Amino acid sequence: MHKLFWKIFLSFWISLVLFAAASLVAVSVYLEHTHARQDQETPRESYVAHLESARAVAEREGREGLTRWATRLDRSEAIPHLLIDESGNELLGRKISPGLAVRLKRQAQRSGELARNFRALRRGEIKLPDGDRYRLVPDFQGATLGRALSRPRVIAIPLLVAAVISGLVCFFLVRYLTTPIRRLSNAVRQFTDGDMDKRVTPSMGRRRDEIADLAREFDRMAGRLQVLIQSQQQLINDVSHELRSPLARLQVALGLARQKQLHENNPELDRIEREAESLNELIGQLLSLARLDSKAEPASRARINLDELLGEVVENADYEAAATNRHVCISETTQASLEGDETVLRSALENVVRNAVRYTEEGTQVNLRLRFTSPLQDWVEIQVMDKGPGVPDEMLKRLFEPFIRVDDARDRESGGYGLGLAIAKRAIDMHGGEIDAVNQKHGGLRVSIRLPAA
Amino acid sequence: MNKVLLADDDVELCTMLKQYLETEGFQVGMVHDGKAALQQARSGRFDMMVLDIMMPQLNGLDVLRELRKASLLPVLMLTARSEDVDSIIGLEVGADDYLAKPCNPRVLVARIRALLRRVQPQVSMENAVDEPETLTVGDLVMHTGSREVVLGKKPVVMTSTEYGILEVLVKAAGHVVSKADLSEQALGRSLSRYDRSVDMHVSNLRRKLGTDESGEERIMTVRGKGYQYLCH
Repeated sequence: MHKLFWKIFLSFWISLVLFAAASLVAVSVYLEHTHARQDQETPRESYVAHLESARAVAEREGREGLTRWATRLDRSEAIPHLLIDESGNELLGRKISPGLAVRLKRQAQRSGELARNFRALRRGEIKLPDGDRYRLVPDFQGATLGRALSRPRVIAIPLLVAAVISGLVCFFLVRYLTTPIRRLSNAVRQFTDGDMDKRVTPSMGRRRDEIADLAREFDRMAGRLQVLIQSQQQLINDVSHELRSPLARLQVALGLARQKQLHENNPELDRIEREAESLNELIGQLLSLARLDSKAEPASRARINLDELLGEVVENADYEAAATNRHVCISETTQASLEGDETVLRSALENVVRNAVRYTEEGTQVNLRLRFTSPLQDWVEIQVMDKGPGVPDEMLKRLFEPFIRVDDARDRESGGYGLGLAIAKRAIDMHGGEIDAVNQKHGGLRVSIRLPAA
Repeated sequence: MNKVLLADDDVELCTMLKQYLETEGFQVGMVHDGKAALQQARSGRFDMMVLDIMMPQLNGLDVLRELRKASLLPVLMLTARSEDVDSIIGLEVGADDYLAKPCNPRVLVARIRALLRRVQPQVSMENAVDEPETLTVGDLVMHTGSREVVLGKKPVVMTSTEYGILEVLVKAAGHVVSKADLSEQALGRSLSRYDRSVDMHVSNLRRKLGTDESGEERIMTVRGKGYQYLCH
């Protein structure tokens, strides 16, 4: 159910509790350790030890050495050991608590009395080479929790523990959460790119949480989409193929009819033949559109010489157009090549050029231009310009939709845009390029195709 | 009279085509599945076969592949239009020509005639006597009478279409022959849009002939122009 919810909730909760517990344990261990040491060697013994090393340091390294030693001791000892000179100032400038000050005064009076008898044992006196005298005084009341926590050594342990624990917990938690999500997003991308067989549930292992649910739902969706798209493509394919069988028979029957009236001109039969031919053309376009739709990537990639390909397309189109007193020519060309599926690109160019020929005025010519759009030569542009009526601006964007009709009256006459430009757009998209149309200033439509060159 | 074998699973279409072809002066046999097509094609009773790709039992490509192991019977493939892949594979496997279906029967007859003309040496032509018996370029020898090709000492087996293309290229050895000319002279028809037939036949020829002594391709592609048989 809410597996993931509990996983995240518990991870954070436990890591916080662990952190708190670890810090408490660290502090109490430290304090206990201090106490244990005091138990072991009695305050007096440890005091004497400190005093001796202080004297040694003072003798050897003078005031500076003593200051360093005192600083070090203050950091490691829970009980502060103060160094007080004869006028009552502390060496490191630490505060002397009022209780301690009173005690010191009393001690001073007493030691004054006993001075003569216990010279050697003059309490905690450290002589510096310059003659100054300091007394080492342990402040037992000063060993508070606040002081323990503010010691760097004490605070470092829980900080370290916290960093390690929370670091580990967060690392594994985040990895646990993001790995399947990344896998899922990869799968979505592959699916979008046309790999309809992509499924993610197997990669989720024995996971049973929200992410696994999401993966399962993705797979269900992918499966459903795959079935829908495939069945639709299959339908288009089947319908197109099935339409062709009767069309093939129709054409043979037409041939038989012509054989029977040898050398006789029969406009009706001509008409039937023409219509059968355009029906056949349409089915062919429908099939290629369906085929292009089913793929996101070109089926084959080869190096294509764009200038050569364009030359061939134009030559064919010009030959065809000459029959209706129109012309096609290239006014600007350059050496350009790219990687792609030549058949698909060729049909895209043919469709765009043929469309331009259809709309250009009789007696005019369709102009083509091939050039790089940037000095880097990484994008190449093909422009196809006709001298036709153009297209209303609001229809420019929709020109690449299948069976779009721009102007009902004229399109009925000319047969409309049909599937040609839609096929061209699919083909150009497939090669990572773009295609658009604009009306030229001096009339006529300009279709621009931009493709990544290689 | 030329005997044509029609292999297509559409019985009605076949019947009508048979009628059409008979009016045009052919003798026609019909088969409706791949196995029967292969059997009849091997029987040696036909001058050529019109082979549809989509057929039950054995599809057209498989029939052609089997047939080519032992026979050079001229084959005209019928492919679904816009399925370029089929036509390319068909030519690779060894079809002499292909035609997209549905097709105008007039075009079909023209193609059949062109194909048959290629296969049957021009005995009826008046100037046939003037033709040389053999064509020789380097280690390649072509016997125009028997339509045999010998490379070094070994005979090379090729379809009549491949022979036709090679003959045109060898006759013009050292000069570039455009694709359009190759199509017209060797295939007997003008080059049409989408037409990759010549390229496919040339690539088959290259495979069969291999490289020359210096390791170079015998047939060179001249970009944007055509092909050239190299002579040194």
